Amino acid sequence: MTTAPAKPFLTAPKKPPLTAPPKPKAAPPVLPRVSAVSAYATTDAAWHLLRRAAYGPSPADVADVRRLGYAGWVDQQLTPAKITDTACDAILTRLPSQSEPIWHVKDLLDTGRRNGWEQTVNVSSHHVARALWSKRQLLTVMEDFWGNHFNVTTPGSETTESRAHYSHTIRVRALGRFADLLRATSMHPSMLTYLGNRYSEDTHPNENQGRELLELHTVGVDAGYTETDVINAARVLTGLSVNYESGDYQYKPWYHWVGPVQVMGWKHQNPSETGGQDVAVSLFAYLARHPATATFICRKLAVRFVSDNPPASFVAALAKTYLANDTAIAPVIRQILMSQQFAISAGAKTWRPLDQYVSTMRLLGATITDEGFDGPQGLWYMAGSAGHTLFGAPFPTGHDDVASGWTSTSTTLARWNSLRTLSHGWWPDFKRPELRARLVGTTVPATHGDLVDAIARKLFGRTMSSAHTAAALGLIDQLPANPLRDDSGALNWRLADLVSVMLDSPYHVMR
Amino acid sequence: MTMVNQQALNGGCCEESRRAEFSRRQVLAAMGMGAAAVGLGPLLSPGISFAATPWTGDTIVLLSLRGGFDGLNAVAPVNDPNYQALRPGIKVPVGSALRLDSRFGLHPALGDLKPLWDSGKIGFVHATGLAEPNRSHFEAMEEIERAAPGSSLRTGWLGRTLGMHTSSGAFNSVQVGWSEVPRSLAGAPPVLAMSRLQDVNLSGADNTDRRASWSRALTALHSTAPSDLRTAAATTLGALNTAARLQDDDSLNDSSVDYPNTDTGRALKDIARIIKADIGARVITLDVGNWDMHVDLGRIDGGWMYDSFRDLGGSLAAFAADLGDVLNRTTLVTLSEFGRRAEENESNGVDHGWGNVMMVLGGHVRSGSVLGTWPGLRDVDLADGDLRATTDYRAVLADVLSNRTGASVADVRSVFPGFTGATMGVTTQ
Repeated sequence: MTTAPAKPFLTAPKKPPLTAPPKPKAAPPVLPRVSAVSAYATTDAAWHLLRRAAYGPSPADVADVRRLGYAGWVDQQLTPAKITDTACDAILTRLPSQSEPIWHVKDLLDTGRRNGWEQTVNVSSHHVARALWSKRQLLTVMEDFWGNHFNVTTPGSETTESRAHYSHTIRVRALGRFADLLRATSMHPSMLTYLGNRYSEDTHPNENQGRELLELHTVGVDAGYTETDVINAARVLTGLSVNYESGDYQYKPWYHWVGPVQVMGWKHQNPSETGGQDVAVSLFAYLARHPATATFICRKLAVRFVSDNPPASFVAALAKTYLANDTAIAPVIRQILMSQQFAISAGAKTWRPLDQYVSTMRLLGATITDEGFDGPQGLWYMAGSAGHTLFGAPFPTGHDDVASGWTSTSTTLARWNSLRTLSHGWWPDFKRPELRARLVGTTVPATHGDLVDAIARKLFGRTMSSAHTAAALGLIDQLPANPLRDDSGALNWRLADLVSVMLDSPYHVMR
Repeated sequence: MTMVNQQALNGGCCEESRRAEFSRRQVLAAMGMGAAAVGLGPLLSPGISFAATPWTGDTIVLLSLRGGFDGLNAVAPVNDPNYQALRPGIKVPVGSALRLDSRFGLHPALGDLKPLWDSGKIGFVHATGLAEPNRSHFEAMEEIERAAPGSSLRTGWLGRTLGMHTSSGAFNSVQVGWSEVPRSLAGAPPVLAMSRLQDVNLSGADNTDRRASWSRALTALHSTAPSDLRTAAATTLGALNTAARLQDDDSLNDSSVDYPNTDTGRALKDIARIIKADIGARVITLDVGNWDMHVDLGRIDGGWMYDSFRDLGGSLAAFAADLGDVLNRTTLVTLSEFGRRAEENESNGVDHGWGNVMMVLGGHVRSGSVLGTWPGLRDVDLADGDLRATTDYRAVLADVLSNRTGASVADVRSVFPGFTGATMGVTTQ
């Protein structure tokens, strides 16, 4: 692997000094020069950006990037509070808010006023709806990223009342400081329940969360810690628990293990049961700022945004930013998206099934039905059939985001069948334009080859190679040169199959 | 979408069990939709550094009896007066049991297994289980399938087993009956998971011509893709053709064999087809749930347990008959997360226990007497009221691996790290 310069290829416009002449008005938005590692990828900078930092390009988002400029769009996404998102907010009012207090949800569940299954499904419905329609796309991408990093398998044992609140907890910190995120998730009833720490007592500390804290959540398995470090981390965490009655977080001093503890370079006398929570908070703060954590987190971010095997030098530069900004996440993401490494990586990543289905519906212009939530729920279910149940990875590791995890026969077959179902609009229910109106418009292209070009520009941001165009048309027994008429099958009853086979192709898998 | 059926499915049992089941299996079923194929994919690396070798062994079928199978009533110690005393309402009376040996008899609802016992095709090992009792469904399943206590391995024992061999196709590891890949296969090369064999199809490509047309288009569209994507497409198209052939091939269908018309029967019928077709199936997993019988399990001649045993026994007998000579290259083993409490409870049920029976069905099995070390059922013999597990369940699995898949001692050690016990001797080479 060649060493990659981490230097930005675009820098944010600097504020002019007070003495400088007035800025020329309406500076044209800057789009970087993107290059692709795959013959299937588009080199359109807006498309590349939206396929990585969003759930794929919708025409409206492409227009936003062109209007705001590349850096302008990135900066806006990194301050999501400043983005107006009324349309999506209105859709989400159909579901209970995720910020409801846990005790309240538990009360509703315990008294039969809310259905536990619906409460669980709504965790995913919320997320899928935001992935489809929120203007805060990067925030939603990061909520998924951290939801997998701090995986709490959903649905799961005894987390029904707290899991929606856990999503909320992650979401409000997803672009903040990692140190805050670590503390909030580690002390959340969902995590404490999932990894069993709520029942961990001084007499027999449960090592689960102590181990994952080091192995998965912070320094990573190769950081050189020992089994003694794991046991000590588990001892530190005893007492972080859940109130049985309310389901809320509760520190239980009577569970806390007392005595000197040491984890890697961190030490504490840990002298009292009542002081145990502060000891745990001190450990979280130490681990969040550990250089191994910086590398571990930044590499994972680079894998998410850039490529399955990001160069070590690139990761090192990101880790430096992470530490220099006291674990703030946004500067790291900004550095990634503005980097040369990112710009030359078009096509280096593979869509995971759920992300691919969401991006498909964004391309096809789907909106929510007048009632119900069938569309988002259906995509969630569909992705489960491809092995990608949102927040449903059956292990604390969360779902992979590298190609090798998503190329099995089962997943490939499930993708093909689902993309066909979505192209035809068989299920789930969305409000959506006709395929022809959306992808072709009112004019009739001259030939079948021209038709495929027109559709490909809408779906892939580019045309397909002539060989691939011929292959796609072969499915509907046509040649590229064959003339097209308003009543041709390709524009009518064969259109969904044609779109479907195009979506099955690597043009819509590699991003 | 409701949880209404949860209670019914789990027999109105305890919260913990309900939720374990809920999380593991009911997610998709609760939506009332047929599940399609799912692959877990190589989520986790097998962590095995052996030189990969081809597979030369049997097809291993792992039948997981989810919920806690009642080995004490399936293979009942009918001549033990303590057994008769502990279970006055639900016991298998001496006169009803189908004699296996001087100590044990089969529950009459498992009568279809008796001819297999008499012909040496099924063996039983009693009082098996985890080395330490764990009465939580969730944790016990996790531990029994991970099969690596005291280590931080995240892979499953079948995943580690498969990881030692070079891959030879889409049907190497298959999960049937449910589209979620079990924990035991974690770390395996990609698993082909299916509800039914008939679900391995491409919608719209339902005849040979259409299939060929889609196949041509998809192959050409992937022609210049990186090798992993190109291979995925080629393998998937191959699997579609194979699955179609399996369904159309009448020679794989023995119409004289009558499977019960149940999920278990239908799944085992698909599994038999896959094995008979000889398409490289190494490990096939199947889950059979509904064993968590805390309440109203019925009596010796009817009810929940009776019906479940009838289904299981009938399905296994049909499977063996369907396979015929092919049973000689097949070994099926059953595994459950724990057995049931020795004493029946006051609700015509049995609570979570420890020691259990394992069944091994195949062409190279030792029967004649029930194997294992019987710990007894006197008060002092029990562990908190439970039958002890005197045989680590890994001793049975290790036996199957070494005799029926050609695994070396070192292979077995890497599949079951830390396990140093003797193998059981329930299979032969």
